[in-house]
Amino acid sequence: MAETLLTINELVKQYGDKVILNGMNLEVHRGEVIVVVGPSGCGKSTLLRCINALEPIQGGEIRLGDEKIVYGSKNLSSIRQHIGMVFQSYDLFPHLTVIDNILLAPTKVQKRNKAEATEEAMQLLDRVGLRDKAKSYPRELSGGQKQRVAIVRALIMHPEILLFDEVTAALDPEMVREVLDVIVGLAQENKTMIIVTHEMSFAKAVADRVIFLDEGHIVEESSPDVFFEHPETERAQQFLNTFEFTPVKHPAQN
Amino acid sequence: MKTKGFKKLLALGLAAVTAVAFTACGSSTPAPAASGSADNGASADVYRTLDDIKADGTINIGVFSDKSPFGYVDENGDYQGYDVYFANKLAEDLGVKVNFVSTEAANRIEYLQTGKVDIILANFTVTPERAEEVDFALPYMNVALGVVSPEAAPVTSLDDLKADDQVIVISGTTAETYLTENYPKLKLQKYDTYANAKNALENGNGVCWANDNTEVIAFAKQNPGYTVGIPQLGNNDTIAPAVSKGNTTLLEAINAEIEALGAENFFHADYEATLLDTYGADFEDTLVIEGGKTAAQ
Amino acid sequence: MPDLGLEVLFKGTNMLRLLGGLGVALKISLIAVAISIPLGILLGSLMTWKNPVARAILRLYLETVRIMPQLVLLFLVYFGTTRWFGWNLSGELASIIVFVFWGAAEMSDLVRGALISIPRHQYESAEVLGLNKVQTYVFVIIPQTVRRLIPLSINLITRMIKTTSLILMIGVIEAMKVGQQIIEANRMSSPNAAFGIYLAVFFLYFIACWPISLLAGYLERRWKN
Repeated sequence: MAETLLTINELVKQYGDKVILNGMNLEVHRGEVIVVVGPSGCGKSTLLRCINALEPIQGGEIRLGDEKIVYGSKNLSSIRQHIGMVFQSYDLFPHLTVIDNILLAPTKVQKRNKAEATEEAMQLLDRVGLRDKAKSYPRELSGGQKQRVAIVRALIMHPEILLFDEVTAALDPEMVREVLDVIVGLAQENKTMIIVTHEMSFAKAVADRVIFLDEGHIVEESSPDVFFEHPETERAQQFLNTFEFTPVKHPAQN
Repeated sequence: MKTKGFKKLLALGLAAVTAVAFTACGSSTPAPAASGSADNGASADVYRTLDDIKADGTINIGVFSDKSPFGYVDENGDYQGYDVYFANKLAEDLGVKVNFVSTEAANRIEYLQTGKVDIILANFTVTPERAEEVDFALPYMNVALGVVSPEAAPVTSLDDLKADDQVIVISGTTAETYLTENYPKLKLQKYDTYANAKNALENGNGVCWANDNTEVIAFAKQNPGYTVGIPQLGNNDTIAPAVSKGNTTLLEAINAEIEALGAENFFHADYEATLLDTYGADFEDTLVIEGGKTAAQ
Repeated sequence: MPDLGLEVLFKGTNMLRLLGGLGVALKISLIAVAISIPLGILLGSLMTWKNPVARAILRLYLETVRIMPQLVLLFLVYFGTTRWFGWNLSGELASIIVFVFWGAAEMSDLVRGALISIPRHQYESAEVLGLNKVQTYVFVIIPQTVRRLIPLSINLITRMIKTTSLILMIGVIEAMKVGQQIIEANRMSSPNAAFGIYLAVFFLYFIACWPISLLAGYLERRWKN
């Protein structure tokens, strides 16, 4: 098995008295794709936000490699360069063109050569089919295009791990595919990813491991085949059932 | 709270000073040589002595720039008027150039107390309250209240008025205060503006109109059919130059100048050059004070 | 057409003097605005930070400026600094200082409002890319804030230009004062000149402020998100 990249140990996250994550443990190995599923409010998004230190945690620890991720610490900027994140909301910077959105962090944070970074940015845009949109402003793009640009913006930092927080949840159905295809492509390149999603067939296709989260705990953790075909727990079964419909009209007609 | 706000103000001020230094913002405002006051600021004398002014070569004189015919700016941008005429003569005789500073009624004392001008020559009426704040030189003009009435029915004494007769005044003027205090039985007709008071007199709403005598004299001059039956009413106030409190050398120089000018009837010449058109010749001796000698002296 | 005494405008150098007065008003307000905007942005950013001491001080500053009439501030800076420190600021410099003091406070409040209207995920997106706090503000938040601020600050600029009519109280001759001088100098010969002159002053202010409003409209359209 590959080396452990991300270690979450006894993570506790509370908002006031409300416990969101209650002593959670997780190890993510290099090249692994983890899909996190669970009912809304189960703490999936909070988990990702804690990994990126967007939220303070109340117990346990999170480490990327050997480095501890501490909310508000001085070296956060350097750690975050190793963690790419894409949000559900379209979070491009509206005042910058697509290419400037992508180049901001490489040139200002990593101090990379602009020409070199631009070349890579164009290659990445090409890859997600948006080369011709480099000079466009976010407002001129569709939701799916914006999310693809957001992914490119994360990728150009060469992160060791990518976090996707329900990136298709706000999209019109016909745009979901174009975004998920990009992520599938990344999985094929053995990028390490943690993906929070409600797209079950996508999860099944892309995951190395599925984590089912409920009430702050990992309730079930298994391979996608096992999880989707033979979930071990009743709660996981119930959850999966919410995505299934039994035909009600056609059987009667037959 | 006040000091905190002030500190902030200073901080900002400094920022602005720096910024303005870059933009090379020119200024036409006078720059009195802060005679020995720059180092310890607040306590030292704010004013410039006669010698300081002569050494500098320019005297800063605060005048009105929009009170015709005493101090105003003509269509070529030059200062003119009764006060200005004297200011020019004074500067000439002191052997210095004059820099006119446009002042307002409300900031004349402030200008002297901060030494931003050396002299105020802005129709400045001498009052005991003001004399606490600044030093007045000898007077060069009289001011009093006056009463204007139709020539057909002139009012020459307020005591002659009948019980029904009403006197027109503008609210908030010295005339209103004076009449209320000294003629409590008199019926006053009060108007808010000059124009309304004028209309009232013209329509015969009142038998006469009481105001500053310069105002009623000018009115009678411009409007045929009216006469100033009472050119001087109540306390006779005077107009005088003023300097910063304690600026004795300059004060004495001005007094000497006013006395010397009396010999050549300078202020009558000044009147004829600047005020004659407005007030006419009839009241020249009523208004002008020559050589600093008021009627009482 | 009623007699507006407009002929007075063309006597001597009157028109030039009015334009010169407008020039003074514009110079003072534009320099003040140019300093107020960056300063206001800085202070407004500080206002959204969590340091309670800094916030209390800035709040106090803002309230002080709001309570104090501008005329009082002008007197404080022009005469007060001479009284207390022996400084001899020119009327124009004193005006600029007061307008910056006032403008930066108003601006900081506008900036604060604009900053808190920027969605949280804009801050977070910048943070997760590794931008530090300063970089986040400089490259992401402030540029967006500035775009939101344009219409509001235009309002402030035009208010500032109009408020320059107060600076005649500290001896600065601007358009309004020149107008009064012209009216008074012609009180006898053209008693109606007040209408014409104030009309002319109004027109001058209008042509000074109009392009600024046009520019604001243009920028607003261009930066619409």
